Amino acid sequence: MPSKEDLKRRASEIIDSKAEDLTALVKTILANPEPGFRELKTAKLVAEQFGALGLQPRSGLAVTGVRADAVGTAPGPTLAILGELDSLIVADHPHADSNTNAAHACGHHCQIGMMLGAATALTNSDVLDSLSGRLAFMAVPAEEYIEIEYRDNLRRDGKIEFLGGKPELVRLGEFDDVHLAMMLHTTSNPAEKQMCISNTNNGTVAKRIQFIGRASHAGGAPHLGINALNAATMAMSAINFNRETFRDEDSIRVHPIITKGGEAVSAVPADVRMETFVRGRSLEALMDANTKVDRALRAGAMSVGAKVKIQTIPGYLPLRQNKGMADMFRMNATDLVGEENVGYVDHRGGSTDMGDISHLMPVIHPYVGGAIGLGHGANYVIEDYGLALIKGAKSLAYTAIDLLADNASLGNNIAGGQRPEMSIPDYLRFMRGLASEETFED
Amino acid sequence: MTSPSLSVEELKKRACETIEKSKNEIVDIAQQILANPEAGFRETKTAQLVSRKFQEMGIQHETGLALTGLKGRITGGAGPGPSVAVIGELDSLVVTEHPHADRETGAAHACGHHCQIGMMLGATMGLLAPEVLSELSGSIVPFAVPAEEFIEVEQRLEMRELGRLEFLGGKQELIKLGHFDDVDMAMMCHTASDMGERRFAMGGTSNGHVVKFVKYTGVGAHAGSLPHQGVNALNAASFAIQAINALRETHRADDTVRIHGIMTKGGEAVSAVPSDVRLEWRVRSSTPKVVVENSEAVDRCFRAGALAVGAKVNITTIPGYLPMRHDTKLQDVFRKSAVELVGESATLVMPARRNRGGSTDMGDLSHLMPACHPYAAGAVGPGHSSEYVITDYESAVVIPAKIMAMVVIDLLADGAKRAQEIKGNHRPLMSKQSYIKFQRERAEVTEYDAAG
Repeated sequence: MPSKEDLKRRASEIIDSKAEDLTALVKTILANPEPGFRELKTAKLVAEQFGALGLQPRSGLAVTGVRADAVGTAPGPTLAILGELDSLIVADHPHADSNTNAAHACGHHCQIGMMLGAATALTNSDVLDSLSGRLAFMAVPAEEYIEIEYRDNLRRDGKIEFLGGKPELVRLGEFDDVHLAMMLHTTSNPAEKQMCISNTNNGTVAKRIQFIGRASHAGGAPHLGINALNAATMAMSAINFNRETFRDEDSIRVHPIITKGGEAVSAVPADVRMETFVRGRSLEALMDANTKVDRALRAGAMSVGAKVKIQTIPGYLPLRQNKGMADMFRMNATDLVGEENVGYVDHRGGSTDMGDISHLMPVIHPYVGGAIGLGHGANYVIEDYGLALIKGAKSLAYTAIDLLADNASLGNNIAGGQRPEMSIPDYLRFMRGLASEETFED
Repeated sequence: MTSPSLSVEELKKRACETIEKSKNEIVDIAQQILANPEAGFRETKTAQLVSRKFQEMGIQHETGLALTGLKGRITGGAGPGPSVAVIGELDSLVVTEHPHADRETGAAHACGHHCQIGMMLGATMGLLAPEVLSELSGSIVPFAVPAEEFIEVEQRLEMRELGRLEFLGGKQELIKLGHFDDVDMAMMCHTASDMGERRFAMGGTSNGHVVKFVKYTGVGAHAGSLPHQGVNALNAASFAIQAINALRETHRADDTVRIHGIMTKGGEAVSAVPSDVRLEWRVRSSTPKVVVENSEAVDRCFRAGALAVGAKVNITTIPGYLPMRHDTKLQDVFRKSAVELVGESATLVMPARRNRGGSTDMGDLSHLMPACHPYAAGAVGPGHSSEYVITDYESAVVIPAKIMAMVVIDLLADGAKRAQEIKGNHRPLMSKQSYIKFQRERAEVTEYDAAG
């Protein structure tokens, strides 16, 4: 029976031997960016790659998701290795699609490469024969929470219920048989070094808001109007008046934009639309801030006698990572890039639907370097595919070996050692309870 | 042998001569009051002075009306007729920095009411000249009234709690108590500092208003270590003030809306999240209807402030004054006498819609009976400020005393023909009952709790 070290060495060799193919594949995805729930070309590519590995992929999960499983030689937990299919929309990105403006400005193309690289190693019989349990390789759609209107229309058409890929896959039962999950995200932050363990990410809810006033000639009869733009600006003031109650450790973020600010400058604005996220580090803090934001929005409407419609759309839950898996990843990262190149950040203000999965099972969502520029910016590109793709793939493969080799004893310990925050039915109930549409008028 | 009856012109001349002879005394009265300023419903020394003067003049009078008011009655010698009130306001403001402020109380005559008492007594002296009084029908009611300035609201609310008052303005309270029931028409003159070359002005209107007492209750907490456990009542109030400002574009120029206030308490200590914040606010406009509309809009803003941060708000609305509606016929009589005394070029008649923006409880009285509230020159400085002082007592006391005496003669001479005519033509905007009902409806206390 080969040792874990032997298995990792073999996995490394396999990945190195496929490095050119993997890099070419990732660059193909980079050149064909597709935003969430529209990743048709990317999904097709992934399904073909799974097929080439001798796996039987299932496609069209949550519109575009692809999953392929490989079974070890003995019973044990199921470990999901995830890669995200979707791009952002950043018009001036050097690799943006000239028609759709879609662009991989967050490095997800590397994630697909890492996941496939790990799959190549782990499904090789030299490795797989020493693993217990099951590997679920998942190309998941729509992690970026964008194009809310498009997705909300998909929702109204019954094609999805939740606006993020992983929540939707949970709803469809794709995580019912999964016990552990991991993925690796690229980073350009020098503080995060070459590989980085993090602890938490913010959770989020999204809001679409409409202030309804009464139009009137702004010069001739302003006294007959009700100014919905004033209601919106008052609501933003009210949000700001609450900021002092947000605790540092809760990392609350509320950052609205106005998507419609009136019809014509000569009329009292009667239809003003706003979108915002509310983010927070814990579910409790997030829900507290969400309540305060709703109250502030109502106060804005009340202040001028307008009406407000508030649609709350469940976003992502805060991410909390499993310490045992994180330690395991740290050891593998140290082996791959050296201790001095492994970073740690406690909290990140952004949000990911891996947070939802983290409420259901032990997960990790570490970071790998190799990118430069600002995340989600036009200058975010992968500079070092050797790190962001090849070493990334190895770190995932090594961690999978740690979990599932040796009769999956560590995998079983971790899967059994963390009580999930929520059961899947509880999670779905919570998310459905969060979705609301309210109209308020004083 | 009876003396031949004098012409109206002759009567006015005699009255003015009498006032002219007494002018040092009436200016001295005004200056004594200036030196002893007392805020509304506390004008005890001023009332004693007026009572002493009434006694010296042989005028029977009641005292202690609406706490400090004094009402005399002089019956003309020419038979029955309408009763005409000549009003002077007893109260001062509180303006600590005013050069004539009382050092202890801060009270100061920064609105010239001391001159009003002088001119009221002066006009009465002129009318008491025997050859004048014998020619007048009906009666003259020299009336010193308390508390025109709507200030010290908290103290007055305490007096209301104790049952000493219901309304917070002197004339309002006098109306309710029935002291205007036997008065048919009323006049007074107010000093002004914005008259330019004119010495006497009339017309225009004033704003009606309501007063708000607003108390925000939040939750106190250490502002450095536990701000998340606090509910900031100061933020609630600031939001409400912003909300009120966001409504300003809906105010019509014609309605002369004035919404303004002060924060009487803004927190306890800078290291604690403010949990007790108080506002005193005023909502004014040229029509009672618009006052009521804006009173409701402002209440909504105050509630929105509470909702914005999850605080509680308690809003006490106190009925304020009604807009001034001068009786145009009575104003014509004023104009005629003013032109006679100071000339056409020194007399100004403002259009009825010209709104000075302030408020007076003479507006309340003007909804019930013919009333007129002209302005006399002689003051400098912005009204209600520490710079408002009388520099010309001739214009501020003597001339308006003469003009009011002349107006009363016009009204009550010749069998009180003019007064009867004015009384007959006047359609009151409200009956006393509907007035009291309207004002009582303004008084309300509402609470809105957005906590939790």
